[in-house]
Amino acid sequence: MNKWRLLLPLLACLLMTGCWNRVELNDIAVISATGIDWKDGNWVLSYQVVIPQAISSQSAAGNSAAVNVFSTKGESFRSAVSKASQETSRRLYFSHTQIVIIGQEAARKGLGPFLDTYLRNHDSRETVSVYLSKGSARRMLEQLIPLEKIPGAAIQRMITNEEMNSSTFRQMTVHQVLLDLLGTTHATGLPGLTVSGANENVERAEQLTHTSTPSKVRLSELALIAGDKLVGWINNEESQGVMWLSNHVKKTTIPFACNEDGNGPKSSSIRITHAKTEQHPRQSNGKWVMQIEASAVGTLMEYNCEGDLSKPKQVEKVEKLIEGEISSIMEQGWKAVRRQKADVVGFGNTIHKKYPKEWSQISDSWPEMFSDTEVKLSVKVKINSTGMSGSGFKKEQKKGGK
Amino acid sequence: MRQNRSNMETKGAVMNIQNAGEFTPFSPSLHANVETIRNRFGGSTDIVIRMFRSDAAPDREVAIIYIDGIVDSETVNESVMEPLMSMKLPPHAYVKGAKLLEALRSCVVSIGSVQVIEGLEQALQYLTDGLCVIMADGSAAALTADVNGGEQRSVTIPQTQTVIRGPQHGFVENVRTNISLIRRIIRSSDLHVQMHKIGRQTHTNVAVLYLHGIADEGIVKEVYRRLADIDIDGVLESGYIEEFIQDETFTLFPTLLNSERPDTVAAALLEGRVAVMVDGSPMALMAPTTFFTFFQSPEDYYQRFDIATFVRMIRYGAYVISIVLPALYIAVTTFHQEMLPTTLLISLSAQREGIPFPGLVEALLMELTFEVLREAGLRMPRAIGPAISIVGALVLGQSAVQAGIVSAGMVIIVSFTAISNFVMPEFNMAATSRIIRFLFMIMAGMFGFFGIFISVLFMLIHLASLRSFGVPYMSPMAPGPTKQGPWRDVFIRMPWWAIVLRPLDLNLRNPKRRPNGKKPPAQRHSDKA
Repeated sequence: MNKWRLLLPLLACLLMTGCWNRVELNDIAVISATGIDWKDGNWVLSYQVVIPQAISSQSAAGNSAAVNVFSTKGESFRSAVSKASQETSRRLYFSHTQIVIIGQEAARKGLGPFLDTYLRNHDSRETVSVYLSKGSARRMLEQLIPLEKIPGAAIQRMITNEEMNSSTFRQMTVHQVLLDLLGTTHATGLPGLTVSGANENVERAEQLTHTSTPSKVRLSELALIAGDKLVGWINNEESQGVMWLSNHVKKTTIPFACNEDGNGPKSSSIRITHAKTEQHPRQSNGKWVMQIEASAVGTLMEYNCEGDLSKPKQVEKVEKLIEGEISSIMEQGWKAVRRQKADVVGFGNTIHKKYPKEWSQISDSWPEMFSDTEVKLSVKVKINSTGMSGSGFKKEQKKGGK
Repeated sequence: MRQNRSNMETKGAVMNIQNAGEFTPFSPSLHANVETIRNRFGGSTDIVIRMFRSDAAPDREVAIIYIDGIVDSETVNESVMEPLMSMKLPPHAYVKGAKLLEALRSCVVSIGSVQVIEGLEQALQYLTDGLCVIMADGSAAALTADVNGGEQRSVTIPQTQTVIRGPQHGFVENVRTNISLIRRIIRSSDLHVQMHKIGRQTHTNVAVLYLHGIADEGIVKEVYRRLADIDIDGVLESGYIEEFIQDETFTLFPTLLNSERPDTVAAALLEGRVAVMVDGSPMALMAPTTFFTFFQSPEDYYQRFDIATFVRMIRYGAYVISIVLPALYIAVTTFHQEMLPTTLLISLSAQREGIPFPGLVEALLMELTFEVLREAGLRMPRAIGPAISIVGALVLGQSAVQAGIVSAGMVIIVSFTAISNFVMPEFNMAATSRIIRFLFMIMAGMFGFFGIFISVLFMLIHLASLRSFGVPYMSPMAPGPTKQGPWRDVFIRMPWWAIVLRPLDLNLRNPKRRPNGKKPPAQRHSDKA
């Protein structure tokens, strides 16, 4: 009996606590994407809030936008967020945010405050992928994207698709950004977003009922971040070169020309299915030499040059052509990052790992030394299939004529 | 149904007469005895007293007494009445006093089990047991002949524990029939059966069965001891006995297995368990029983082992689901929204738009509704069954969602939980999850995952503290086994030839089911040549 008497106040305590931090699903505003802008000395945070009823198949609200975008501003991030309660009925819920778009101005100001909030708060997830926008971040959030209901998720899927199929850009999660910026080289590259096409926004759901939209959001250019600030942009080809140099190519398609100097129309192409790049640093005469050894395996997708591909000699020749093409891509990438003095290709990292003692001496002057580094490229390509046709269409036609 | 008692059962019946304390000797006068018996029954009209004189002993009146309806009247007529009336005793047998009864017993009554008794109380007891009592004038003793019979349900397909492959007969209400069903499966003299009488008024036959040489003697003794301590006016079902002999009363978990399947009981006996059968109940009890026993359906052992293993996994999963699924749903939707995939979160929150109640209340509402429906379905007359189904499924399920009182997701959760609950082969174990579920839901509603975690911990601690006839309830998991043997039939079911050991936790004398080694080698047809 005594036991039960003791239990009673315990039970009362239990019940009186109630459901202390319970939040029902219809009390939260799920944010699919966040935008960060810097305007007139204030941070402007924009939120893309998902409207569940517009997405769920149950309710037939087909013709309304599935998201709502609004902004708040403040001198710090969290003060801006807290002001959101003055204009929305629900608590902002960041755990399901999939992307963060940072405006160019904000990036010039510095990513420090933004990254700090991600390190400090548990509801801001580090799996969020980060983008830079050439214009204002809010404008990006306002664009609707065909096929997907939630634009934030659409952009996130876009980069995954890009990463897996073309490897010009790769997904940069907050976690990855933190690793880069807190790591050896304090530099990273973020994919850029632009609104291309007519200078008109796709903001209304009925615009998606047409077969084409006046403008669209696309991935374009790689933003180079050094320290925590934006230092410059490099174009898509250069970005691909960076990916090759830093061993981030998964699958891609490379067009190449028929003649060895690389001039002429690049009318043939190969699909790279496996690619690997190794960086071997060494020191010579106070300068660093980086030996890049790239190897790739792929399938020939189209071939419009001369030569009989059923002969191994000819295949070897084609492999040489492709090797040259990949080298020139890497060359372009290297030139671009060298110009910006941002080590987004991870040379510093490799040197740090291989020569930790030497690195401790040069780490402070690395940005200068980085651009003096000499890069030596060697590429090995293997074509493991020329496709189902051997000689090619034109040759067959000629044969038939005889 | 006509039955003859085997020796064993008769011995058992004699051993335990509850009213043994009282003893009133018979009077030498037959009429006085008959009158006493009649009066003791208050002149009940179903007492049949037939008095006659036979040719062999014309000067001595003989009475046959039995209770109508619980004896087999055909047997009474053919094997008792007729030989007595037309008896021709050899001359030397015609002697006075008790010798007559002795002569009747040895030469006349053609019934397997006949005894001489001397006390009135014994006579009354045997009469109510369905035996007939034969008395002769001038002897202060009586004969009993086992003519037990009368109307009873015949052996049919088990109603509560069905299998697709396996024997299709179930126990009936008669304990003697039930024992015979076991005897037909285990044809061994090692199968020991002891009968007890429990109940001051009902004098219910309670049989204890075990396999001598396999079951632990200590446990058998403990069963006897606990049964002997029972003092109650009536035992109508084995549930009465279960509550008396189980180790722990204040637990939601059953510590005795029950089954109406003879094959299940036979299997338990072979594993070294002790079975208790109660007259009037088709449910046999088996002890000791551990937690994992409740997940083993008899069919596991009749089907191929791979299918059985898969189904057993499903069963464990379903049990967990039936306890925690609503709690998980509550926790995830009210505390841990970040755990859900984004698309699922959005679709769930679209469903929750306009729902007036918090998740916990919504879940409790639906679960209670289901429990009401289920109880209604069990108790109502069969004819109105379809009406309840329509009201339950359509009105409560669909309309509640359409009216915006509960969310569609919650209906799915509650339905799936309910279905999972029916996967359990043992009803009483399934019933525990129904109650525990509510505790989990309340804890989840208050503390989210933390609450569920605490509840699981408490449940495990409680489970580990339970014993069934001294055997730890969670064995062989806790305390852990010493050999690899016991695991072959817990979460998985190995092929029969690999299950060498009986469940070791029962502390058996004879723990091996079969010798070590593999199954008999298969010979290919081509190898023969």
